[in-house]
Amino acid sequence: MDIDDLLQELDDNKVLGGTRDINDLTQSWIAERTAPEILPFQTALLERLMERIRQQIELVETQTGNLDPKTNFCLILLQTELERVKFLVRGYLRARIHKIDKYSIYILTTPSIRGRLSPPELSYLKSHLGLLNSHFLASFLRRFPEQLRRLDDKAGGISMVEEPDLDGAVFCKVVRDIEDNIARIPGTDSEFKLTKGDVYVVRYSAVREFVLRGEIELI
Amino acid sequence: MNNNNHSASGPLTPAEVAFLCEAQSVTIIPRQRLDGLDLIGGYIPPFHPPQRTTIPLWLALLLKRQRRCNIVPPPWLSAPNIERILKTETENQNLFCPDLPYRWLETAELLLEGCPDDLGGDDGELRVLLRGLREVRQGKVREGLGKLEATYLQMNNLGLLEITEVRGFAKGVVDGLRKIGASTGVGLVLGWMMMISRWGWCFISMVFWTG
Amino acid sequence: MSYYDIDAILTDAQKVPCTFEITIPGLGYLEGNSNIDIKQGTRVELPLWLAEMLGVSQRLGTEQNVISLDLPPALAPRVQNALKANPCTVDLRSLASHYYSLGERILGLLEEDELVDILSETFKKRAAEIADHAHNPQGVISSGGEFLKGLDENERQLFKTAHESAKAIRAFLSDRSSGKK
Repeated sequence: MDIDDLLQELDDNKVLGGTRDINDLTQSWIAERTAPEILPFQTALLERLMERIRQQIELVETQTGNLDPKTNFCLILLQTELERVKFLVRGYLRARIHKIDKYSIYILTTPSIRGRLSPPELSYLKSHLGLLNSHFLASFLRRFPEQLRRLDDKAGGISMVEEPDLDGAVFCKVVRDIEDNIARIPGTDSEFKLTKGDVYVVRYSAVREFVLRGEIELI
Repeated sequence: MNNNNHSASGPLTPAEVAFLCEAQSVTIIPRQRLDGLDLIGGYIPPFHPPQRTTIPLWLALLLKRQRRCNIVPPPWLSAPNIERILKTETENQNLFCPDLPYRWLETAELLLEGCPDDLGGDDGELRVLLRGLREVRQGKVREGLGKLEATYLQMNNLGLLEITEVRGFAKGVVDGLRKIGASTGVGLVLGWMMMISRWGWCFISMVFWTG
Repeated sequence: MSYYDIDAILTDAQKVPCTFEITIPGLGYLEGNSNIDIKQGTRVELPLWLAEMLGVSQRLGTEQNVISLDLPPALAPRVQNALKANPCTVDLRSLASHYYSLGERILGLLEEDELVDILSETFKKRAAEIADHAHNPQGVISSGGEFLKGLDENERQLFKTAHESAKAIRAFLSDRSSGKK
């Protein structure tokens, strides 16, 4: 059975927290890879998982000296799972860092998006920009006239600041019954009805609100 | 394993899709006892062979490799069933069969590789049928791509690995059409009125300076 | 458009035929000869970025347009007809390396109602053809060489994406069935 189907059938209180957390992290990873913009950081989820990871690592370390082959084998299983979970966490963080690198100035100067970063990510962003700036200055920017040295110039209609293309196409799936279930495509008259279970290829801006609310998932 | 198993950006690679499908549950028949395991993803109750139990696929494949269990194939993965689905798919050009689970292709691949002997003796036949199924569906996807529009497209019941195969191309076409159509929108007219190209400032100031 | 994007920069460099509506002193070098001034009525080929800027009078704050723009030869009626008739046989690359991007920019400057539809249909039909070529594991189908050489930059990206995902899936599946890990 698909783990998605499994969770759909069982009631919330029957599903173990650990399973749900892994599932949520998996979905968050997929979403960050698929969405053009950076999504809100899943603070509570990551905290719980990092704590569990710490516990498991501790457990493995204390048990490693144990010569009993049965325990040894169990440790191998534990470690295998540990690597899987760490891969997911890393994947999630890497996808976000990629977007932070790409849209640094935009994120920094847009408070609503900046708020989606975790504190370590924010300080990473600032260092990254600082490094980039010094590098550019040292390489060539220093020799430009003063008024042409900016990296965030928005004068004249072309902005130097790279923004995510929110109109890029994404694959998505409707996962819940939605009350106000008409999706409109910005800039056109097109609209379509969202029924649970439908899969669409559509521009991100049309489903952005639904994704942020969890009613549509990116796949 | 090849080098680009995972990346930091862009759509999921096939290897990553396979990684994801390993999280699903399967039934196994354990061949040895095992204590309960407190995994991050949940508690695995102890094994009492030959009592069947349900565990994640990645764990089942690991145990199978060590000959500590046999895997019970999921109900949909049998030659008769795949044959039936293949027939439905071939007879209906306009839909993808809803009986096929979301991760059918990658799951079938992992099971055929990991436990061919547990698949009821007809794994060879299964391979042929699955390949046929894949080709029929690929044909339909190709057709669907020809109908891509700049607005939206509905593609229910496509498998994740199949989606992965066409994702980049579909995105390219939808985005391309969108950009062509967007150039005549009202919003653009307003934008043009304020537009100076990136080199415009330099040029204008140079002209005024030399003029 | 992205500031640093190479394709955007290259698109900007594509040329558009323009006619100067007024005489401008000092810009004679645009014509390539040693005249000091550009006389009214002179036709020059200017790069898109410059043509856009001069062509929109509100921008310059002048009363009338400094220049008027014409369709570049790549989008001429003759070509449009060829695209309507048989989009897959036209060598877009020789007309303009960033054909569709050029089209988009021209559509924002000139009134060309039919052109949107022609470009969209062309794009769709050629994309379908690209998909067919990309999924062929042997490489290029023998008759496809001409077509593929005539793809514009946008279409080349599309082909590359399609080809690489097909390759990745094939590699994944064949790794499995040959028992490699």
